[in-house]
Amino acid sequence: MQKQKIQIWDLPIRLFHWLLVITIALSYLTIEIGGIWADWHARLGALALGLIVFRVLWGFFGNKQARFSQFFPTPSRLIQYFKGQWQGLGHSPLGALAVFALLGLTGVVVITGLFANDDITLFGPLYPLIDQSLSDWMTGVHAIAFNALLTVIGLHLLAIFFYWLVKKNNLIKPMLTGKKYLEIHHHTDQTKAEAKPVYFFISIALTLLVVWLTFGNVLTDLLATKPVPQAPSSQSQW
Amino acid sequence: MTKLSLLLTSVVLLNAGLSHAGPIEDQIKYRQSAYSFIGWNTNKIKAQLDKPETFSKEEVIAAANAIAAAANSGLGALYGSGTDQGEGWRKTRLKSEFFQKPDEAKKLATTFNLEANEFAKVAETGDPVQIKVKFGKLTQSCKACHDSFREKDPK
Ligand code: HEC
Ligand code: HEM
Repeated sequence: MQKQKIQIWDLPIRLFHWLLVITIALSYLTIEIGGIWADWHARLGALALGLIVFRVLWGFFGNKQARFSQFFPTPSRLIQYFKGQWQGLGHSPLGALAVFALLGLTGVVVITGLFANDDITLFGPLYPLIDQSLSDWMTGVHAIAFNALLTVIGLHLLAIFFYWLVKKNNLIKPMLTGKKYLEIHHHTDQTKAEAKPVYFFISIALTLLVVWLTFGNVLTDLLATKPVPQAPSSQSQW
Repeated sequence: MTKLSLLLTSVVLLNAGLSHAGPIEDQIKYRQSAYSFIGWNTNKIKAQLDKPETFSKEEVIAAANAIAAAANSGLGALYGSGTDQGEGWRKTRLKSEFFQKPDEAKKLATTFNLEANEFAKVAETGDPVQIKVKFGKLTQSCKACHDSFREKDPK
């Protein structure tokens, strides 16, 4: 059977993937160490927010293999997969379940993080929009969702090792190079896989807008009901 | 017999009322107030470190001294047994583990006291760089205790 090198992951997907890996690892590290590193946890949060927003947009407007509709794990696709009949490029239906779980949980972690507080020095950028008890609740959800995320990451890694060792299928390399040798007997249409560049720039622009609205204090300034903490003034004479 | 136990109970209750740390609800209230006050001062310092143009040596020293004073006030007295349940200004977030691991509790509490006093000394220098590093140590000591002995979410 003839094999051909085919591009299965585009550059934005690969960049997203590895940047997210790094961001999650460093977020964990910085919050565990705490102290002066707590600030970095929030900064990394801005990066994580940007990554997630971009990935969601790219899931609608991106290249073919990035689009959610292409790999949404519908029951019929899953059944096909378990019968061993699924053929295609990109995420398998089971892999797609993992993708949605990972994206969803990271989304919950990031969004709750925006409202979280540690009562010490770390306050999410949207903390001023809600009251303390809701923020405390968000903080609890933030921690729980993170633990769930770690669990799914663990499963994700196990599956990759399983593919590697048992199925002799290295999934890591394509995520680095984007390319994979495949037998070219499936019917997957290779044409029209590329999104127009303008969609990429629109996605980037919207992503930056969202990050600016949250981390640039724009939303809090517009919507805050309680005063945003101010540096102390030496106005008070006593 | 019942009269005797009634008498004993009232004596015990009266004693509790008169002792320094008071009944459970009072201890929790003082405790929450103390940490709120500490938190206020911590955030004043943080705000100034984040915005160097607002940095004021005197205000940082005042806040640092306030934290050290609270640390030195004997907060341990507000951790009487039974204070892992109940309501002060709000439901307490003290974990029951606090009483099961007294050694760890003591270590974390004394580390905080130490850092608070060290920080007050460094604040005197008025040097933002040194202050920032020491402030990191201080807030790490807050976090260590919160991670071990404070519920994530209000009970
Ligand atoms: C010895 C352990 C310990 C240390 C050290 C500690 N805390 Fe806490 N803190 C607690 C506990 C326990 C509570 C929950 C009190 C309760 O609800 O009864 C708490 C609660 C708080 C609260 C919420 C108070 C409220 O309104 O109920 C703030 C704010 C706070 N801590 C800030 C700090 C800061 C800032 C530091 C360091 C400068 C610090 N804490 C150091 C144990 C600690
Ligand atoms: C990829 C994104 C993120 C990851 C992986 C992440 C991970 C974590 C983890 C592991 C914790 C410790 C929870 C625990 O104690 O069990 C934590 C705490 C916290 N995070 Fe995040 N976080 C992320 C994004 C954010 C964002 C965007 C913010 C907002 C700026 C934020 C704010 C906080 C705060 C305030 C805490 C302290 C909670 C506490 O100590 O009780 N996080 N985060």
